[in-house]
Amino acid sequence: MAEKKETKNTNKQLSPEEVVKYFKDEFKTKIKSSEIKKRATGLKKMEFVNIWMKIDKSIFKDFIKHLCDLTYPHLAVCSGNDLGKTIELIYNFSIYFGKNLEEISFNVAVEVPKSKPEIETICDYIPGSLITEREKQEMLGIKVIGIPDERRLFLPEDFPDNLYPWRKDKETQKGIEKLYKNLHEGKVKK
Amino acid sequence: MSSETTQTTYQLPIGPIHPALKEPVMFKFEIDGERIVDVDVELGHVHRAIEWTGMRRNPIQIIYLAERICGICSFVHPMAFCRAVENAVDIEVPERADYIRVVHGELERICSHLLWAGVAAHEIGFDTVLYLTWEMREKALDLTEYLTGNRVTKAILTIGGVRRDITSEHIPKISETINYFNKNFIKLKRAFLEDKTVKMRSQGVGILTYDDALKLCAVGPTTRASGVKKDVRADQPYAAYSDLGIDYTTPDLLTGEVNGDVYDRIVTRLLEVKQSLEIIQKAIDQMPAGDLVSEPKIPKLLNYIKKTPGEGVGRDEAPRGEVIHYVKFDGENEHPYTWKVRASTYANILPWIPMLKGEQIADIPIVAASTDPCMSCTNRVGVVNNKTNQKMMLDKETLHKLSIEKTRRLMR
Amino acid sequence: MGFSMLGPVFRQMFKKPWTNKFPAKYQPNNTTDFLKAVAEGKAKINPPIATPKGFRGKIKYDTEKCIGCKLCIRVCPCGAIEFKEKEKKVKFYLARCCFCSQCNDVCPTKCISMSDEFLLAEADPYAKELIVE
Repeated sequence: MAEKKETKNTNKQLSPEEVVKYFKDEFKTKIKSSEIKKRATGLKKMEFVNIWMKIDKSIFKDFIKHLCDLTYPHLAVCSGNDLGKTIELIYNFSIYFGKNLEEISFNVAVEVPKSKPEIETICDYIPGSLITEREKQEMLGIKVIGIPDERRLFLPEDFPDNLYPWRKDKETQKGIEKLYKNLHEGKVKK
Repeated sequence: MSSETTQTTYQLPIGPIHPALKEPVMFKFEIDGERIVDVDVELGHVHRAIEWTGMRRNPIQIIYLAERICGICSFVHPMAFCRAVENAVDIEVPERADYIRVVHGELERICSHLLWAGVAAHEIGFDTVLYLTWEMREKALDLTEYLTGNRVTKAILTIGGVRRDITSEHIPKISETINYFNKNFIKLKRAFLEDKTVKMRSQGVGILTYDDALKLCAVGPTTRASGVKKDVRADQPYAAYSDLGIDYTTPDLLTGEVNGDVYDRIVTRLLEVKQSLEIIQKAIDQMPAGDLVSEPKIPKLLNYIKKTPGEGVGRDEAPRGEVIHYVKFDGENEHPYTWKVRASTYANILPWIPMLKGEQIADIPIVAASTDPCMSCTNRVGVVNNKTNQKMMLDKETLHKLSIEKTRRLMR
Repeated sequence: MGFSMLGPVFRQMFKKPWTNKFPAKYQPNNTTDFLKAVAEGKAKINPPIATPKGFRGKIKYDTEKCIGCKLCIRVCPCGAIEFKEKEKKVKFYLARCCFCSQCNDVCPTKCISMSDEFLLAEADPYAKELIVE
């Protein structure tokens, strides 16, 4: 495809609509939704652009490879939401840094079912994502397949094993409150 | 009979509490003689459950919680949070508030870089420069106290604007401070950059190449010193920076070449101090008239946030790098459904590994300090643990935890 | 090798030090004896540097103007304010207060204000000096 040859050259900068079209052309229906939000700031009212996309889990790794072909992204962080039956992972990228005022924030959301919470690692494309993937493993209970280092990051080693602090179901929250209530029983003098 | 001897490496643990480190972090080095062969970093020692606590409070209370994530970055965390909330529920910010936010952000950057310069000199052993830079920093802190009421936790931000104005009474003191810094900047530059000892200890040490910095997603002056052009203020139009014209600071502006070693990081930070002084002067000159906040009545603001669902991302450039907050509201409650914080040192941990391999043990403090780590920013997530080995950390937060207990008791 | 620093270091010998010697020039050998001497008038405490206008110090509360709307309790990040049901007034616990002045901003009758006192250290967090009502 003629478009692919052009975009291997990272000097060409695409506008936000063209970026969305680049992904939709490749993956067609697997992209569930996409939205472009623009907000203006300052006296000159220049706009900054946020692109939000929801994609299907099956094309996740190819999507990341496609993004790296377009331009090498900067992974800011991976946030997670517990939505009841599924867990939603949001990868916040930013592309086209380095040129004044032309950066685009690119946010990709993937949903994994709670019965089988697994996702592939992106450490082979972006080695800097190791820390954020390790954190998701211990906080949300997601298993990242192929991660080079599996240890816990922030929680201590003797933290109970199947307790994932960010999940919102009642059992997890009760388990956490047990760890919390034994703290200081402050005596209040009235 | 000859005994079998094999050559192997030593394991040297440093931390979590050690005189060379400013904050608790656990390093495990594999040493061969005096050279470092491999590095392993373990975190989790200043773990305070701030995100979990935040998901139970309304947005006005979270601003003050975010301020206390870190003492030095105490402006950027509430700023990124306010921008995330404003992006999530569509609240406009008046232009005058944007300019005032720029002034405070740059003032904080000056204080932080001068503190870092003193700490870096102390790690080399050059204590005279420590006293010189911290004396200059006192002037900047005096100005902060005059403008906001306190030296460190500024409490000047709110959702939709700022709380205090910069009036014509304040301007003489601001001009006096800027003149003082401009005069003394030459002194600082000569003491740091043209000194033989500093050059000997820092040139060629702790090198981070351009490719490594790009792949490991490093942020802030650490990555700019290696030649990667990444700066939230110059990349995206945000607050009033797009009007003021910011450029990336890389060390070739002063020395002409980019090596990615500790000396380059010192150069980058000192150039940024100069840039911040220029930005403050421009912002004061060009400040437009207008409102300070878009919605002054707080109960109305909280009710509006309660009814509007949405998710938003707020990014900001701290003195150490990029800070990003993600907030999601579900349209039914006042407190956010999810709040995720990623401080800048989080992304600067992985670059320690290529920087420290091949160096000598005596270089560990200066290399580790050259990325300006802020461990309090990094460990915030998850749940409070009451195990005995963590009790010391929790005691420092005793007041905060007691207050949570009391609130629960009051709510019953 | 600090030739570049010799000049400023030499000049420093003739300058007055920046430190304001509060409360006394040298540390007293025995603090309780020192405080007794101050009470009798034999010793003097150097005053601290004056705080700027707008400094956020101890909370001052005007009970008459308070209408009991509970807005300050809603925005306090530390949970330092308690509501007294019968009198419909509030009580501040300064051991928990973080001096953010948010209660001051939100109060509709402006009965809360921040003074410039900052010497609030006490051994007991619930001492009388640390409760404002």
